[in-house]
Amino acid sequence: MILDPILYLIAYPPLWQVLILGFLGSLAVAMVAIWFERKAAARVQRRIGPYWASPALGGFLNIIADMVRYVLQQLIIPGTVDRLTFYVAPIAAFIVSILPVIFIPLSSRPEFWPVASMDYSLLIALALSTLPPLLIIAAGWSSNNKFAVIGSMRESYVITAYELVAVVSILSASAATLTFNLVHIVDAQQPFKWLIILNPIAFLAAVLAVLMSTSAFPFEIPESEHEVVAGPYTEYSGALYAFNMGGAYVRRFVYALIIALVFLGGWAPYVPGPGPITGYVIPSIIVVLKALIIVLFISFLRAVYGRYRLDQALGAAWRLAIPLAIVGFGWSLLLAYIGVFH
Amino acid sequence: MPPKISLKKLDRRGGLFEGVKSNIHTLALGVKYLVDPQRSTLLYPKEYIEHRPGYRGFIIFIKDKCISCAACARICPSAAMKMVRVTEIDPKHPDKPRQKQYPVINYQRCIFCGFCVDVCPTEALYHVPFHDIVYENLADMFLSLEMFQVEPQRPATSEGLPVVYEVDEIKGLVKRRKS
Amino acid sequence: MTSGGLEAGGQIPGFIVKKIEKEVYEIFIGPQHPGSGHMRIIVRLDGDIIVEADPDIGYVHRTMEKLSEVREWLKPIPLLERMTIIDACNVTLPYVNALEKLMDKKPSTRASYLRVLLCEINRVASHLYGMGIFGVFIGHSTMYMWAFGDREVFLELAEALTGARLTHTYPIPGGVRRDMPQELPGMARRAVRYMRRRLEEYRKIFVDNPVIVKRLSGVGVISKSRAVELGIVGPNLRASGVKYDVRIAEPYEVYGELDFEIPVFEEGDALARTWVRVEEIKQSLNIIEQAVNWLETHKGEPVIAKEDFDKLPKLHKEVYEREGRVKFVPAHATMKIPAGKAVARGEMGRGEIFYYVESDGGITPYRVRVVTPSARNAIVFKHVVPGHTLMDLPAIYGSIDYFPPESDR
Ligand code: SF4
Ligand code: SF4
Repeated sequence: MILDPILYLIAYPPLWQVLILGFLGSLAVAMVAIWFERKAAARVQRRIGPYWASPALGGFLNIIADMVRYVLQQLIIPGTVDRLTFYVAPIAAFIVSILPVIFIPLSSRPEFWPVASMDYSLLIALALSTLPPLLIIAAGWSSNNKFAVIGSMRESYVITAYELVAVVSILSASAATLTFNLVHIVDAQQPFKWLIILNPIAFLAAVLAVLMSTSAFPFEIPESEHEVVAGPYTEYSGALYAFNMGGAYVRRFVYALIIALVFLGGWAPYVPGPGPITGYVIPSIIVVLKALIIVLFISFLRAVYGRYRLDQALGAAWRLAIPLAIVGFGWSLLLAYIGVFH
Repeated sequence: MPPKISLKKLDRRGGLFEGVKSNIHTLALGVKYLVDPQRSTLLYPKEYIEHRPGYRGFIIFIKDKCISCAACARICPSAAMKMVRVTEIDPKHPDKPRQKQYPVINYQRCIFCGFCVDVCPTEALYHVPFHDIVYENLADMFLSLEMFQVEPQRPATSEGLPVVYEVDEIKGLVKRRKS
Repeated sequence: MTSGGLEAGGQIPGFIVKKIEKEVYEIFIGPQHPGSGHMRIIVRLDGDIIVEADPDIGYVHRTMEKLSEVREWLKPIPLLERMTIIDACNVTLPYVNALEKLMDKKPSTRASYLRVLLCEINRVASHLYGMGIFGVFIGHSTMYMWAFGDREVFLELAEALTGARLTHTYPIPGGVRRDMPQELPGMARRAVRYMRRRLEEYRKIFVDNPVIVKRLSGVGVISKSRAVELGIVGPNLRASGVKYDVRIAEPYEVYGELDFEIPVFEEGDALARTWVRVEEIKQSLNIIEQAVNWLETHKGEPVIAKEDFDKLPKLHKEVYEREGRVKFVPAHATMKIPAGKAVARGEMGRGEIFYYVESDGGITPYRVRVVTPSARNAIVFKHVVPGHTLMDLPAIYGSIDYFPPESDR
């Protein structure tokens, strides 16, 4: 049949993964995260938060209204920016932020996740997740604004601090389970041998790395409002700003997915069965829920912490987080030596 | 006992244990309020505050009490109050119209200091306890003598419920619906 | 002026011509910047280190001193309180004291207590405002909301006492404008107990928060001698170990009879400045309690000077009996004050405020000179900020509790 290749191309599972889960899923999660962030902060701060748009839903429609506003808002492009980079960087950053999702399996059934069950999925997902900050730096640099440049510089400093922590702490899972395949990592943790229990140190380091990489409190340094206005995004408005802002939430979600698989046991204790419901829907829901818990916890931190100074954040990373990550890695090697997972 | 100076020292405890402890304190307090928020937000158009008597709000003029002394216009610190000259016909002497002076107010300038109310020798001016009124254009804020004598309608009263705030020992400001 | 003139070192009047240095990155923080307030700070950076900070103040200058000269004696009171609308009683009280010195009038003791009560309510509200702004400057939005929410409690007290949330216009020469309402003592006591409990929570979430402690300790250190040399005032001075407070150096009103402490810290950094404010709030709460207790047990005296009260017409006395409201007599609008000069000072939330009032015997002041605490603290930007990183700028700004409208007058 001539149609078969075309059909295969359209129904190509990785494409679906990016389109359905990657785009719509991250969008939904970003919306929930933003809503929760505003609502939780409001509760801690003894306010009500979003309310009037839909009192019955706790003001959730407010987030949608905000998105509509961002999209319809006038796009103001200052005359002095480097136009091509200015347009492309935020959009590319957003897309690259979603890309790791292709390599993140939400089920162990290979018929639903052919790409994700390849043997180096963890490595590739991690590698892809380190790309967007470069584009953010480009966005700030192209803005031709002093605050944006300072923000970009800060971003580049922070990258040097968290990258190593993120990679070492998450790869400690590979050290323990002796595989780079996320499906195998999850299967090794079945049913309750979760790495968060067996190796909490690496988990702590990984969460610290996520906080830094997505500029969540207390490491909200690149866009620290009271010195650099909005950091790299100072000159952005309208839809392009929404890409920038949404990108941060998407990256947070992607990291949370990886952590949910690696440390929180993915779909464990559930064992995916055949068929779309048991093999696809239920395990994905479990994983997304676990990831959501991490995202919401990160959102909650905004309400209780201030922000560190740049040098203190770097110091915290090099003095605390990197040793933690290395200790976690060593701990994992010990786990592998004892043979907990085999 | 007279006041005295007291020299204090910052409590600079360091160490991992203290750090972990204060982190836990911080997070625990955040979670406590996350679970049990003690809000005092006023849902404005649906609720409005009923202020105590004595609140310095809009000013109403009682023409019958006024003796046209102009003290209110003279003491007004922002020159919001002005005297206007009107011709009045006394019902007893309809053939002899009299010239009288009465104050009018310009809410573009008024700062609600209450000097005019306090200086009026006959209590011809009084405050109503609110000032959330919307004018559609600036010219409307310059009240005419007639407008100055009617108590304005609060916009919130049409759809909102009155509430009062009370100081509570545990929760700070507590909102109470007034029945 | 030709460009040749500029090259030769010529100047356009009002402009400063500066050579641009290559290694220095100049950023203009303000006046339209989320972290500047009504001012501009021109910051020159070398890498991340500030090498020069230039506070550019005056964006909210409203010619208050000059305006006071064309207003009858009473009218500057509501004008001057707009300098520091969040600390309205403290900022006008010395002006009223100066008028009393010129008129040789003494307020009744009850009026003095009422003034002190409102001053301390204002001080708590002002410190809470400062801490809230400080919190959001270093990224702690919860501190901001909490402080502003709890400030509302004290505004509620002020409103019950004076009838206005912020612009109280409360003290007048010879007394105050209203007596305390019946329910105020109960409200005040509950508010005091509430605030004491809340300060404990502030400590947990903000002042002892490891992130904040890390962020503030050792930042913007002003040594004792440096503080004296710069001439800074108020909590900032006391955080540097200088034992100076107008309430104790030159007690005005009834401050000499009250039992309270002036907290002094010696570290001189941003954290110490925060702690001074927390401790001062505690002391102000003590004073509020004492004042309310005294007011409750000493009823009967009018709230303006006895000789003035006796002269009031019958209607005025009736209104006072009924509502506790002191009515003016029309002569107040055009009162004359004997020729002379007077100075008065007081301790505002942000430090010492100083007034010089001169009368030529007319119906308006001849000269009113105000020196506000923020005007004297502004120097910190110039001399303390350089050497810190850019991220320390909001921390120092917030910790000195600088309030541009107050300094610009
Ligand atoms: S309240 Fe004050 S400003 Fe307003 S009219 Fe009366 S005296 Fe003038
Ligand atoms: S002070 Fe009173 S009596 Fe005199 S003009 Fe004004 S309103 Fe009339």
